[in-house]
Amino acid sequence: MLEIRHLTKVYEDGTVALEDVSFTVEDGEFLVLIGLSGSGKSTLLRCINRLIEPTEGQILWNGIDITAASKKELREIRKHIGMIFQQFNLVKRSSVMTNVLSGRLGYYQSWRSLIGWWPKQEMERAILNLQRVGIADKAWNRADALSGGQQQRVGIARAMMQEPKLMLADEPVSSLDPATSHSVLKYLKALNEEGITVLCSLHFLSLAREYGSRIIALKGGKLVFDGTPHEIDHERFVSIYGEEAKEVEIE
Amino acid sequence: MSNKQGGERITNKTRELVQRKPSYASWKFWIYVIIAIAVYVYGWHATQINLKTLVKDAHLVKPLVSDLLRPDFIARNMEMQQVKAPFQMPCTANPPKNMTPEPGKPSMVVSKTCGKIGDTLTIKATGLRPNTKGRLWWEDPIGQRDLLMEVQSDTNGNLEATFTIPEVRSGEGEISHIVLEIKWPAGGFHFTKTAKLVLNKIIETVFLALMATTLAIFIAIPISFLAARNLMSGSLIGKLVYYLTRTFLNIFRSIEPLIWGLIFVVWVGIGPFAGVLALTVHSIAALGKLYSEAIESIDPGPIEAITATGANKLQVIVYGVIPQMIPPFIAFTLYRWDINVRMSTVIGLVGGGGIGFLLIQWINLMQFRQAAAAIWAITLVVWTLDYASAVVREKLV
Repeated sequence: MLEIRHLTKVYEDGTVALEDVSFTVEDGEFLVLIGLSGSGKSTLLRCINRLIEPTEGQILWNGIDITAASKKELREIRKHIGMIFQQFNLVKRSSVMTNVLSGRLGYYQSWRSLIGWWPKQEMERAILNLQRVGIADKAWNRADALSGGQQQRVGIARAMMQEPKLMLADEPVSSLDPATSHSVLKYLKALNEEGITVLCSLHFLSLAREYGSRIIALKGGKLVFDGTPHEIDHERFVSIYGEEAKEVEIE
Repeated sequence: MSNKQGGERITNKTRELVQRKPSYASWKFWIYVIIAIAVYVYGWHATQINLKTLVKDAHLVKPLVSDLLRPDFIARNMEMQQVKAPFQMPCTANPPKNMTPEPGKPSMVVSKTCGKIGDTLTIKATGLRPNTKGRLWWEDPIGQRDLLMEVQSDTNGNLEATFTIPEVRSGEGEISHIVLEIKWPAGGFHFTKTAKLVLNKIIETVFLALMATTLAIFIAIPISFLAARNLMSGSLIGKLVYYLTRTFLNIFRSIEPLIWGLIFVVWVGIGPFAGVLALTVHSIAALGKLYSEAIESIDPGPIEAITATGANKLQVIVYGVIPQMIPPFIAFTLYRWDINVRMSTVIGLVGGGGIGFLLIQWINLMQFRQAAAAIWAITLVVWTLDYASAVVREKLV
């Protein structure tokens, strides 16, 4: 169980990205975060694994206070939280294999990992994870030789190397075309069905409705909606996205 | 409805925006023009630009250019016939004897075999290669030569010449020689001494640049991490180190390699080692700045992603930072090597080894064909390195 309590983030320039956000995520949920650009979705996700330090509030994960963890404890916590990104964040010049293996670095904090000397079972684990996302034959290609959708699948495989219990996805399909978007979200859905809790921010409400088991909406850093997908009617939609917004479908 | 565009009506505001004054209609524009004219008029006088001399004295540079276009790299293979006749100064009781001419063999007879400075001598040579040019030399008892005259054999291979004994070292009845050498091309070419010297020194230059670049890499890499804003902005001490490193790099970079050359020539003596040190110091400053800028411009995404997996700081650098830095590092380093080859010629001017040292000597002695050989060699090496580094950079980046 992940509990977010009164989370506030104020950046150095005074921007309030999150303001007193509280909610709870049960294990096994597929929670979708929606909201306009700049509403605080990315900041919220990055506060959970403390890529961004929260200003105030607490984040408890199965009783452990992430916000109070020391550097060493934080690395141990991060090990179990996978993350995928809008821009995939692969090392473009490295091979797909190296990118996937880097997901396992939290488990091998020794000098062997620094020279890229990986045990055989980890190489096998990497190939198996690539097979799950259907691109094992690209293992030794350079990451930037792959298409956007393929790169995001490498991102998923990298996160899978962590054997995560929680998966954070920061607009994972915003740089992809509709067809590829569905394939990436289907992989996330499959992970969710295996018991991994997923927190995923999305732009398209249609995708949020299709894949989310629950939806949370942010507006100007505040939580403005928390409920099931079918609870979002036109009135709520306008309150989240503003008067000028019009819902578009993605097939 | 001709004055309607996309539903918007043409208003006074529209007209006002359309009729903005052109730039030349403002008085400010003309002040800038006058300032610019004043600057260039002064510049013309200050630098003593004189187009008349440029046109009129063009012929002065012709021999120089023609020498520069004929670098002293290769020469024709020559064959030579040489005959020596002994001559005693002053005469003693026992003067040397003239040789007896043998048919078909080069030989030379002198009108007398002893005498003093100012005497007129006639030589008759036979058995030479017909119609061939040569030179007549005076060789004193210790082997120093003075040119007496240019000569040429006739169609029968005979040669006759008259000259006056010049002001030469005479000694006490010691034996000097009159030397006749005639030369003709034997077909084929050979590399000149200059070419061998230039080759030797250009290799020294390339290695001088290589050593300086390599030494600089090892020192510049750690420094560049300290001078990268994105890595050092975490703490107050970090920021302080960043500014200090930046300041030092800027100061060291602003000092010309020539000045470093002077310092190190005094420090470790004339020779390539001083050149290596001078170029190293300058390259550290230049590469340190380029490297740190490369670090500053890397994509932060992968760093974020790898940090999120629970990796430690060192692992993040090895997996997220270094792979991104390799192409710019190699590109900058090759570029620097290229610059160092060019700079090492400058360093040579102050005694820092390499081909520059030879070049400045030849220029000072007005031996322009030799200087041309050095200049062409430098050009060739710089071209080659430039091309090679371009190819490598293209493959990497």
